[in-house]
Amino acid sequence: MTHNKLIDCMKEKAGLVQAVVSTVSSMEDVLRYAVDLTLQRNSKTIVVPGLDPQSLQELEALCSDAGLTVLQPPFRAHQSQIDTALTGADWAIAETGTLVLDSGSEDLRIATMLSETHIAWIPASRILPDATALSAYLVEKMKTPPGYMSFITGASRTADIERVLAIGVHGPQELHILVMEENPS
Amino acid sequence: MIQTAQDMKTYKDRIRAALGNQFLRKALDNFASSYRVSRAKAFEGIDLDTLKEQIAESKDQALTQLESLFVQFKTRAEAAGAIVHLAATAQQANEIIAKIGRDNGVKTIVKSKSMTAEETHLNDHLEAEGFKVTETDLGEWIIQLRHEGPSHMVMPAIHLSRQQVGTLFGDVTKTPVDLEDIDLMVKVARKELRPAFLAADMGISGTNMAIAETGTLGLISNEGNARLTTTLPRVHVALVGLEKLVPDITAALRIIKVLPKNATGQALTSYVTWITGAVECAASSTGKKILHIVFLDNGRLDLAKDPVFSEALRCIRCGACSNVCPVYGKVGGHTLGHVYIGAIGLILTYFYHGKDNARAIVRNCLNCQACKSVCPVNIDLPYLIKKVYANILRDEGTRPVKNTVLSTVMKNRGLFHSLLKVASNLQKPLVQKDAGVLRHLPFIFGKAHDFRTLPALAEKSFRDQWPKIRPHIKNPAYRVALFGGCVVDFVSPEQAISLVRLLSAHNVQMEYPMAQSCCGLPAMMMAEEETAADVAIQNLEALNSQSHDYILVLCASCGSHLKEGYSKLLAKKPEMKEKLRILHDKLIDFSSFMVNILKVVPESFLQNQTQVAYHSPCHLCRGLGVTREPRALLQTAGLDYTPCKDEDVCCGFGGSYSLEFPEISSEILSQKLDHVENTGADVLVTDCPGCVLQLRGGMDKRNSRIKVRHIAEVVADNLKNP
Ligand code: SF4
Ligand code: SF4
Repeated sequence: MTHNKLIDCMKEKAGLVQAVVSTVSSMEDVLRYAVDLTLQRNSKTIVVPGLDPQSLQELEALCSDAGLTVLQPPFRAHQSQIDTALTGADWAIAETGTLVLDSGSEDLRIATMLSETHIAWIPASRILPDATALSAYLVEKMKTPPGYMSFITGASRTADIERVLAIGVHGPQELHILVMEENPS
Repeated sequence: MIQTAQDMKTYKDRIRAALGNQFLRKALDNFASSYRVSRAKAFEGIDLDTLKEQIAESKDQALTQLESLFVQFKTRAEAAGAIVHLAATAQQANEIIAKIGRDNGVKTIVKSKSMTAEETHLNDHLEAEGFKVTETDLGEWIIQLRHEGPSHMVMPAIHLSRQQVGTLFGDVTKTPVDLEDIDLMVKVARKELRPAFLAADMGISGTNMAIAETGTLGLISNEGNARLTTTLPRVHVALVGLEKLVPDITAALRIIKVLPKNATGQALTSYVTWITGAVECAASSTGKKILHIVFLDNGRLDLAKDPVFSEALRCIRCGACSNVCPVYGKVGGHTLGHVYIGAIGLILTYFYHGKDNARAIVRNCLNCQACKSVCPVNIDLPYLIKKVYANILRDEGTRPVKNTVLSTVMKNRGLFHSLLKVASNLQKPLVQKDAGVLRHLPFIFGKAHDFRTLPALAEKSFRDQWPKIRPHIKNPAYRVALFGGCVVDFVSPEQAISLVRLLSAHNVQMEYPMAQSCCGLPAMMMAEEETAADVAIQNLEALNSQSHDYILVLCASCGSHLKEGYSKLLAKKPEMKEKLRILHDKLIDFSSFMVNILKVVPESFLQNQTQVAYHSPCHLCRGLGVTREPRALLQTAGLDYTPCKDEDVCCGFGGSYSLEFPEISSEILSQKLDHVENTGADVLVTDCPGCVLQLRGGMDKRNSRIKVRHIAEVVADNLKNP
C-alpha cells in the first residue's frame, strides 16, 4: 500500500467503528481541537499524560482563556472528574483502524479509560498496514516487562441488549483520532 | 444456579418451554440471519481456509506441549513480577483465588467476562466466602442480577428482551427505566458499575491468549471493562484455562485476526490488551500491581493427550457454533448447553461438568455440520458430539433397547432386508392408496410426530426390481455402481429408477451391487460405532470391484458418510486402507456426475422452465462440499431455479433425530417450508432422499401445492428422449 492509501484506509476503517477522524498539521491544531471539543461538550477538564512541556504550557494558556482546567497527575486523585483525555498514540494499524498505545504508565491508562472523550493524535508516518507489521515491536516491548500494551479500535461499545449497538458502556464514549500529516497534500 | 436437565423427560419439558418462548426464537432467528451476512463481510478478501488450518495446526502443536509452555510462561511472568499458580481442579482454582483475596485484605471484587470462571462457578465460591463480587460485562452483569447462567458464550444475555432488562434495571436502581431505550439502559449500567470499579480491591479477568515466550496475557473486549478491571484495583487475578497457552505473539495475533470476525462479524474488538507482569499501580502499597495468574487444569492435561477429543481444546470460544446451529436457534443456550453452550458445549460439558449434565443435551444434535463448517479451528464438532454420547452410553453400561435392536439387525444384512419386507406387508392397512404415505401413524408415535406425514415402504424395493430393469448398454461410456442407501432402496425406488433412465440415455452402464447394506450412519447417530464399522466393512467389500469407474450416490448423507465417516471409523484397520482410498476416489454425488463427468447439455432436455426452489442438503453442501453442480444441473435440465432464503440450512430431519426430538424438528422444518413457499416455486428440489422424506411430509401436512422431488426425478422427467 502506498503511504496515502494507508492513511485513507486508516481513516476509513476507524470511521466504520464510530471514531471521528480528522487531519491536522501541527501540535497547535491538536491542542485547539481538544479545547474546542471540550467546550462543545460543555465539559470542564482535560488530562494530557506525557505531553511535552512546551505543548503543555501552550495548552494551559488556551485552557485558562477558555475557562477549562488541565488536571495534574497522578490522575487517580481525579478519577471521577476526567472529561477529556488527550494523548498521543505510538502506532496505528490501518487494516482495522486501530490505535496502539504503550500504556505502561498508570496515568495514561486512567486517562484513556476513565475519560468521557478520548482524543489521540498519531503521526501519519506511524500508520502500519496490519498487526503483523507490529510483531517485532510488540515482542520487544513484551520482552522488557512490565508492560501494558493497548490496541484501541473505536469507542467502547456493547451489543449485549438485544444485540443493539450502544456506544460508551465503560470506556470513553467518543474516540477522536487526529492524523498528523507533516506535509499535508 | 445452572440446572441442566439430567434425564430425557425433564429435558423434553424444558425444550417445550423453550419452544414456547416467542421472543427468544425471534431474537435468535434475527441474529442467525444477520450473523451470516456480517461474518461473510468481515472475512472478505481473507484466505480463511488457510488461516483456519494454520491456527488449528499451531493449536495442536501447543496442545502437545502444554506442560512446557506452562513452565516457560511461569518463568517469564514471574520474572516480570507476577505470581503464577496451577490449579488441578475447579475447586482448587476457586480456593486459590479466595486465598489471594483474604491474604490481601480484599472485600470487593470486580470481574470482567470469563467463561473459565463460569466453568468453576467462581462467583458462588467467592460470595460464600464473604466477598462482594460484581460482574462488569453488561451481559454478565444482567445475568448475575438474574441469578442465571449465560445463554451464549459471547452474548450471555441474548435470551432477554429490552423490556426484561429495563425492568430488572428499574428494580436494581429503584428508579423506573424507559423500557424501550437501550442506549439509556447502557448508561444506567455505566453509572451503576463505575463506583464498583473505583472501589474494588481486586479485579478478576479471564484471558484469551497466554503467550509463553514472554509471559504475556492477551485480553480482548468491546466494553472496556477488562481494561478497568485490570487497571484500577490493586490486585489483579487472571484465571486462565491451560489450553489458552500459545507459544508466541504470532500465534496470538492469528487468533485475534479470526476471533472477533468469527464471533460477531466485527473486524476487531474495541480493545485488545497485552499485560506482561506487574505494572505500575498507585493503589498498591508497593506501587506495583499485585498480579496473580491462575491456570486451570480441570481435566485439560488429560484431554490434551486424548487421541480423539484433544481437538476440542483448540476452541477459542468464539461462540460461532451456536450462532449457526439450527437447534440453538430454536431452543437457545439454556436448553442447548450447561455452562459451555452450543456444539462445543455438548462436548465440553461431559469433560468439565460430568456425564449427568451431558446425558440429555448431547443427544440434541442433528448432525447437520453447520457448526463444523463455521468453526475457525476446524473442530469436527458433530463427530465429537456422537463420540461423547457413545462414552456416556459406555460409562452408564446401559444401552437403550432401540440401540441393541438396531445393532443386532443392522449387522446382519439378510435379516435387515427381510424385516423390511415383512414391514412393507404389515403396513398395508395403514397406507393411503396412491399417495404412498401412511394414513395413520402407528400407535408408538405420539402426537408430537404429527407434523409431517411419513412415507410408506415401497411395495417393491429397488433391489427386488433391479434384476428385471437392469439395462444392458453396448460399449458404455462409463460403468458406474449405485450405492442406493436404505431410503432409496426401500422407500423411494423411483429415485433410482429415474437415475437408470438418465444414465441409459447418456450411454452409461449402471450396476447395483446386491451385497450393499445400510451405510451405517443411523448407527453412528445412535453412537453404535461398532455396528457402524461392521456395516462399513460390508459395504466396502460390496463396492470393491475394479469394473466401475464411479460409485454414485443419490443420498448425500450416505455419500458423505461413505467418504468421510468411513475413514474415521476404520482408521485403525490398515487392511481397509486401499479399499477406502478407492471408495474415496470413485465416490461421486449425482449432480456432480451429471455436470462434471457427463457434461450434460441443455439440448438433451425439455426447456419447460418450471419454477423450482432448491434445498441444499447438509451432507451435500457441507459434507461433500458440493454447491454449484446441483444448481447448474437444474438450469441445464430446463428448469427455472429460484433462489430461496437459507437454502443451506438443515431441514430438521437428521434421521432418527426427528423421531427423538419431533418438536424441534417440526419447527426447523416449518421455517424451511415458509421460505420455500415465499419463492412462489411449484416444485421443491433437493438431492437427499432423507430431506425429500422430511420436506414432502411437511408440505403434505400443509396441503401445499408445492411438490417435493429428488433432483434425479425432475431432471429425468425433462429428458427429451426418455
Ligand atoms: S451438527 Fe448441527 S445440530 Fe449438531 S450441534 Fe452442529 S450445528 Fe447444531
Ligand atoms: S468450537 Fe469452534 S466455533 Fe465453537 S466456540 Fe469453539 S472455536 Fe468457536
